[in-house]
Amino acid sequence: MAVLGKPQTLLKETTGTAPAKTGLHVTLGQVLVYLVLTVGIIYTLIPFLWMLGTSFKSATEIVRMPPTIIPEKFTLNSYLTIFNDPRVPLGRFYMNSVIVTFSIVTMVLFTSSLAGFVFAKYQFFGKNVLFTLILATMMIPFQVTMIPLYLVLVRLGITDSLLGLIVPGATSAFGIFMMRQFIEGIPSELIDAARIDGASEFGIYYRIILPQMGSALATLGIFQFMGTWNDYLWPLIVITTTEKRTLPIMLTWYNSQHGSRADLTMAASVLVILPIVVIYFFFQRWIVRGIALTGFK
Amino acid sequence: MAVATPKKGSLFRRQHLFAGVTLTPIMVYMMFFTMVPMVWGILITFFRYSPTRAGEGFLGLGGANPFVGINNYLDLFANTPTGQLFRISLKNTLIFSLLYLPLNLIVTLPLAVLIESVSSRIKSFFRTIYFLPTVTSAVAVSLVWGVIYHPTFGLLNLGLRALGFNGFAWLSDPNTRVLGIPLPMICVLITYLWSDMGYNIVIFMAGLQGIPDVYHEAAVVDGANAWQRFRYITLPLLRSTLTFVMVMTMLSSWQVFVLFFVMTNRGGPANLTRVLVLHIYETAFRYQEMGLAATVAMVLFLIIMITTLIQLKLLRKDWEY
Repeated sequence: MAVLGKPQTLLKETTGTAPAKTGLHVTLGQVLVYLVLTVGIIYTLIPFLWMLGTSFKSATEIVRMPPTIIPEKFTLNSYLTIFNDPRVPLGRFYMNSVIVTFSIVTMVLFTSSLAGFVFAKYQFFGKNVLFTLILATMMIPFQVTMIPLYLVLVRLGITDSLLGLIVPGATSAFGIFMMRQFIEGIPSELIDAARIDGASEFGIYYRIILPQMGSALATLGIFQFMGTWNDYLWPLIVITTTEKRTLPIMLTWYNSQHGSRADLTMAASVLVILPIVVIYFFFQRWIVRGIALTGFK
Repeated sequence: MAVATPKKGSLFRRQHLFAGVTLTPIMVYMMFFTMVPMVWGILITFFRYSPTRAGEGFLGLGGANPFVGINNYLDLFANTPTGQLFRISLKNTLIFSLLYLPLNLIVTLPLAVLIESVSSRIKSFFRTIYFLPTVTSAVAVSLVWGVIYHPTFGLLNLGLRALGFNGFAWLSDPNTRVLGIPLPMICVLITYLWSDMGYNIVIFMAGLQGIPDVYHEAAVVDGANAWQRFRYITLPLLRSTLTFVMVMTMLSSWQVFVLFFVMTNRGGPANLTRVLVLHIYETAFRYQEMGLAATVAMVLFLIIMITTLIQLKLLRKDWEY
């Protein structure tokens, strides 16, 4: 009896107290709150589930009625088809996207932090005019300058090359703006102390400023990574050769070849967004904080 | 000795030198890829310019690419196919932007308020999920939603047929309209909302966290209900966030390209989803009429500037808390 009774009371306590605590306060309003939020979550997740599910379905299950969200029979056929297609050098496209993204992120982090440092901690003639100029370039949408920018690349002879994707993206007005805001918060006394100790100006940037900018660099780096990895319009204009395509361009090209095979296009989409989703789950704290702080996309 | 006592001002000279040496190349580089194209872009609006024709003189402006004065601008208002196509694109862009802004606010602001009201662990779960679509490549978004809207194997039509209804040709039906808005345009609006709402939810949540609790507590003491607290405390105190969100949302909705290029297959059906950015791309890079395309780009630039200024003026914040 005692042996039997004890777990029962325990059970009663654990199941009893938890709902009682909230149960008293669960109002119709709170039920509605969770209902609305759940509907929103379904709206947000269904396309992802549909994409994943379809990519693992067989060609016959795709058109089955009623539709299945989770495939009845998981098959890797669509992924294997993409991997084994000699006309789709997937490794090449991944490499192109990685080269372009990595180059731009590295250069933007370097130029933005250096210029941000100078704007934040140095006094010189024309500083405000220059900074206003940077803010002004932030206001010009890319679509307005893309035509002449393409003409610039034609003159430089770097159209249809990865260089043409990288070179115009090496600096970022937004990056300089963001880094300046952050570096202004670093006390100038630290810099003065380093100067008295005989540090060079570049040494101050490299040894004093950079080590303190971890979170700001991570935030800017993630934004730049997402923007470059997902960019479509600029590669669409610049790249014409198949081997120089980046992943988003590969995706629309693949869709134009296999538009009626949803399993294939969805598998290709999964392969393109997978790296960025993984990175998002690792770095989402920085992304969310960065947007909350700067408000920019 | 000379080293130990530096001359007056050498420290400042050293700092000036560093600022000059680092900033000059960065600024020159940046201006070369922003301001030079901006000026060049204005310049070619006065020419009938195509890179396929070998021009002569400065920047190939001249010869086969003749100076046409303001004819490119007049073309936008003329009763020619190019003029009509421009006006259709402008109209569609206006429809899209003016519908998208209220649609976005009606969804994101309440969602942000609701997410802020739940306990912190569930809050970060909701935020993580709601933000997920914004990191997804716009091309993948277009393809996934294209499959959802697909007439034969799309989720929507499979679902509708399972319930005994007929399906729709969601993205290619030029005739069906809801409240006068073409069905394909509504489909793009819903997809864009899906891919974009995470940003505004996060920004609104940050704004809500900035409102001191005491105001709400005082209102509760005074017997205000949840709606009254939202209407008379949250909304006024959220004004600067709201201004910012409205301007940014409007700006980005003018610039949507991929959805209209991929999902509705270059502004189809019957140009019902042809927008300005798509029109600029097609004119410049498909038909190689870059002078005309640059003119449309200038119009887009002007519209963006004007709407931004109007919104900033209308919603100017005149007090602090």
